[in-house]
Amino acid sequence: MKPVDPQNPTGLVLNIQHFCTHDGPGMRTTVFLKGCSLRCKWCSNPESIHPKPELAYDNKKCIGKKQCGFCLKPPFPENAFYVIDGPDDRVHVNWDLASECGQDCASICPTGAIYLFGQKMTVDQVLDEVDQDSSFYRESGGGITLSGGECLLQPDFAAALLKGAHERGIDTTIETACNVPWRFVEQVLPHVDTMLHDHKLTDPVRYRKWTGVDNSRILENFKKAYEAFPNTRFIARTPLIPGVNDDEAHIRSVLAFIRPYKNVIDYELLPYHRFGESKYSFLGRIYEMEDFHAPTEESLAHLRAIIDEQFGRKRAS
Amino acid sequence: MTTPAKKIAINNSGGYLPGLNSVLLGVLRTAAHLNWDVVGIRDGFDGILFPERYSGDGLVQLSLELVETVLPSGTPLLGTASSSDPYHVRTLTAENQVEEIDKSDELLRKLQDHNISAVISVGGMQPLSILLKLQRKGLNGICVPASVENDVAATQLSFGFNSTLSCVVDLLENARHAAQSSRKIGVVEVLGEHTGWLALQAGIAVGADAVLLPEIPYDLRKVAKKLRSKFASGQQYALVVAAEGARCSSHSEPGPTAIAHASLKASLSPLATRAASAHVIQRSGHLAEALALELQRLTDQQTYPLSLGQLIKGGAPTAVDRQLGVAYGAAAVRAIRENQRGVLVSFQPPKVKFVPLSEAINKIRTIPPNSLFIETARSLGICLGD
Repeated sequence: MKPVDPQNPTGLVLNIQHFCTHDGPGMRTTVFLKGCSLRCKWCSNPESIHPKPELAYDNKKCIGKKQCGFCLKPPFPENAFYVIDGPDDRVHVNWDLASECGQDCASICPTGAIYLFGQKMTVDQVLDEVDQDSSFYRESGGGITLSGGECLLQPDFAAALLKGAHERGIDTTIETACNVPWRFVEQVLPHVDTMLHDHKLTDPVRYRKWTGVDNSRILENFKKAYEAFPNTRFIARTPLIPGVNDDEAHIRSVLAFIRPYKNVIDYELLPYHRFGESKYSFLGRIYEMEDFHAPTEESLAHLRAIIDEQFGRKRAS
Repeated sequence: MTTPAKKIAINNSGGYLPGLNSVLLGVLRTAAHLNWDVVGIRDGFDGILFPERYSGDGLVQLSLELVETVLPSGTPLLGTASSSDPYHVRTLTAENQVEEIDKSDELLRKLQDHNISAVISVGGMQPLSILLKLQRKGLNGICVPASVENDVAATQLSFGFNSTLSCVVDLLENARHAAQSSRKIGVVEVLGEHTGWLALQAGIAVGADAVLLPEIPYDLRKVAKKLRSKFASGQQYALVVAAEGARCSSHSEPGPTAIAHASLKASLSPLATRAASAHVIQRSGHLAEALALELQRLTDQQTYPLSLGQLIKGGAPTAVDRQLGVAYGAAAVRAIRENQRGVLVSFQPPKVKFVPLSEAINKIRTIPPNSLFIETARSLGICLGD
């Protein structure tokens, strides 16, 4: 195995998305890191969850057994791929048997129907790509945003990347749920200008039910971060899931938590969407939120009005 | 009391099906003749992996007395396991992080600790693959095929299908009456992603006007023509039954995905663009909505979409499933007695045979073009969309 260069650490990057307008101030380039310590049932980026490169399959790109069929032979694991009798000879994936597939398998598929989510990248590789948009950052007040997954789960890489961005004069933002040891937060936050952080639920039991963990360490991390980094801008966020956390009590409890800290400059609501639903099928997983819908405009407006009132501002109707 | 000659276990490694307790009856009665001890594992393999989650124990000591007092139509004694996979067990680590851990070795060790020499597992396509993986690691797993869609190719009839079919027929009958009384076209979606046995057999039973199947790509104009002629003859209603995996023969027509993602844009999610998400397996009900909308356009008649979804998995087991469950349970014990390892119990009338798991996986039992049911539907004038 190649030794890790401490001067230029590598990270597992899922995707680099340019011209993002919802991931911090101005026009931003968002770098999605792979690996997450939560399992939110509404997750819109399921491909970001596992901390390893992961096989995915888009059957729309498959040209079928007659014209291709490479995946039905070695080195693909036996029975990992198969075809159903009938008019459609495109390949199906037996996800239980395909789990050992890796880069070798993905590279054999000529149409790219079989591919991998996640690749190792160095800090310089990422920054060189991010730097391409630097003129947009200057114009819009934007910069780089680290997202995920949970970007703080790769603290060495995240810290080096953000430090490198600062050295190139690029503004830095991270999106985090903060379910990580405090030492990770402490390592990365000195290089962060703005931290977008999720208050998904208030009650620890309900937090655990919907995300897999309780939120006591998360809340503790938030408080420590607010206090230890007074010059960092913090923006609280709630992904608003109808029937889970779209109640007034939750919004008010988040406000009560953040308002004593002057460096928490805003609280945003992110209405639940189903963008991620398709990706569950790419990965052979089941989307557990299939019966949930986006919050109504009325409910959203009502909750946003409560936040605006607390922040002493009026929203244009 | 004599020492049992052998100890075996049974679990439900799939979702709920009516009459699961019938399989237990078959296993227990046959095992009793052999003086075998039978334990039940709760909720797939959870009962043995996480005994602390259960009051008492995750294993249930089964006896004929216990099983005979449980109604075949009652709650499954051993629970269900719609997502039980010992290779990916969601676990909270010491660092408070959620991870999926491979606990297959632990499972095999615990089975050994309990002196369990074989496991009879009731389940469909996914449990079959997991059982094969466990068999490759040394478990003697015997699969009783269970599927509401009857899609396990290695057997003629999966346990649970007949009861589900009966339930679908009842619900379609109600849908037909609703269509009649409201003078509309009822478009009803039923389970069947890869094969349309439920839609076809139930559609024939209730005299549907059209049945759309994954096996036969449909042309909606042909369906509309059939419906228009029915309305022209004076009958003011119609019933269309569609399996959820039915596909149109031309991309210019609405398929199941046509309306599902129309309003989506991906500003926050990598790779979730409309183009990338356009082919996905739809959640239940989208096909019915898309078909109803387009048929309304093509026929100028009011339509109503209806998705039966999970409703069809309830209800009482039929006599066929009760017999089949008992027979499968008895055959699974016979397989162990005959030293079969890693097999699926297969009903191939008039016999019950044993098919190696490696030959049973990845094969879907689809409807052949020359099937008696297809011929029957055509002779009844049911439009199949081709």
